[in-house]
Amino acid sequence: MSSVYRYRELIRNLVFKDLKLKYRDSTFGFLWSLANPLLVISVYSFVFGHLLRVGTERFPYFLMIGILAWNFFAQSLMMSTGSILDNGNLIRKVAIPMEVFPVATVLFNLAQYLLALVVLFPLAFVFFGVLPSWTWLAFFPILVLHVLFTLGACFVVATATVFYRDVRHFTEILLMLLFWLTPIIYDIRSITPSLQSVIYLNPISFFTLGYQNALYRNVFPSLAEVGILVGLSVLMLSLGYVLFTRLKTRFAEEV
Amino acid sequence: MSTAIEVIDVSKAFIIRHNRANSLKSKVIGIFHKRFREKRERLWALKGISFNMLPGEALGLIGRNGSGKSTLLKIIAGIYSPSSGQVRLSNARVGTMIELGVGFHPELTGEENIYLGASIYGLSRKEIDEIYSRVVAFSELDSFMDTSLKNYSSGMQARLGFALAVNLDPDILLVDEILAVGDEAFQRKCMARMEQFRRAGKTIVFVSHSAEDVRRICDRACVLDFGSMVFLGKTNEAIDRYHMLLGAT
Repeated sequence: MSSVYRYRELIRNLVFKDLKLKYRDSTFGFLWSLANPLLVISVYSFVFGHLLRVGTERFPYFLMIGILAWNFFAQSLMMSTGSILDNGNLIRKVAIPMEVFPVATVLFNLAQYLLALVVLFPLAFVFFGVLPSWTWLAFFPILVLHVLFTLGACFVVATATVFYRDVRHFTEILLMLLFWLTPIIYDIRSITPSLQSVIYLNPISFFTLGYQNALYRNVFPSLAEVGILVGLSVLMLSLGYVLFTRLKTRFAEEV
Repeated sequence: MSTAIEVIDVSKAFIIRHNRANSLKSKVIGIFHKRFREKRERLWALKGISFNMLPGEALGLIGRNGSGKSTLLKIIAGIYSPSSGQVRLSNARVGTMIELGVGFHPELTGEENIYLGASIYGLSRKEIDEIYSRVVAFSELDSFMDTSLKNYSSGMQARLGFALAVNLDPDILLVDEILAVGDEAFQRKCMARMEQFRRAGKTIVFVSHSAEDVRRICDRACVLDFGSMVFLGKTNEAIDRYHMLLGAT
């Protein structure tokens, strides 16, 4: 991991390359990346809030928290299916600590996540009268753990795709399933206890609930919740990192 | 004097896959249908290669196509890991020139590509700031630094790639046939630069098909054939040996 620090300039350049390429030639630049979550939030608000009347208070704000966090995770994962494979030409020509690619992928998506939050929070303030609370401070440690968890998952996916190319499609389908198994659109308290226990089998739910508690329900996470989040992220990151480092010597031959 | 490069009994096997199962789907199908199952074959690309190099030495690697010389270079560079044996490098900065402009992106400008390309070799921002003006001067592309690389001619792209590669200023240089690209003037410039490196006391491993280039740069050469080292010694004798191999087929 120390080599990752030594190559920080490369990571920085990779992240900025992706940001530049994405926004350089479009008139509204970064605002385009908000179009997708805004549209999703609007459509879900209308369908679930007005047509189906789920009755969750400040429903668009509730959706915003879950969807932005989900997008960060899902887009990091989808992008990381190519983070080794698509850099094959580089990997075959230069000795490079390959950890930098998944790390850069996650940081790129983290940048997008944070930018989206910075723009959308004022909107939530204007339209739904959302006011800051001390519990919002819990957002930052949860975010750090969420990033570590996501990085671990990205290591797994990036490695797997090198050996099995269809992991990309598999990941896409798995993410679609997981989306509905995560309490993003529905409030966990509004479903039956037996269904709740199914939702708790999905590790991503704990992060979503953490964000919602801090930013929406305005309660600090309990010690048990913090323990679960720390456990999940440490577990996922170690799993991903061990898998990645054990197989990375074969990447240059396989890509 | 301590060695710059130590290659100790290095062997490399590649797995040749027939019916390659590179998807989960084909893996699962292979369980049920023997016909679709992956068959593996071991190919020894390198067999028991050993040699030492002192700092400031230049070694040529020559051999026919598929003799394993590029594989050996990639193992020394740390791109491939050897199946057995090991490579020890002195604590010097290693520059690998296997292809020019590795990691360049067509949508980025010349300047952005220099920063990206240099950081691929592990340079810090400060180090790149220091070499930047030298790279631009060497490439003779000052007025194109804010232009996207896609608008460069292929010659200009090669110039930028080469300018960056030679200004990374490594102590050990691993060079693989990059001189094969570009026109004659460009090749002359490359060779002149290589000789300059030579005089500056850099350690060089040089893979080439051109006996003439190897003769100009290297004091020793190693002839590889079918993954084995068949000769290691004076450049002239090595080239004779190589020509014998070529004549034999």
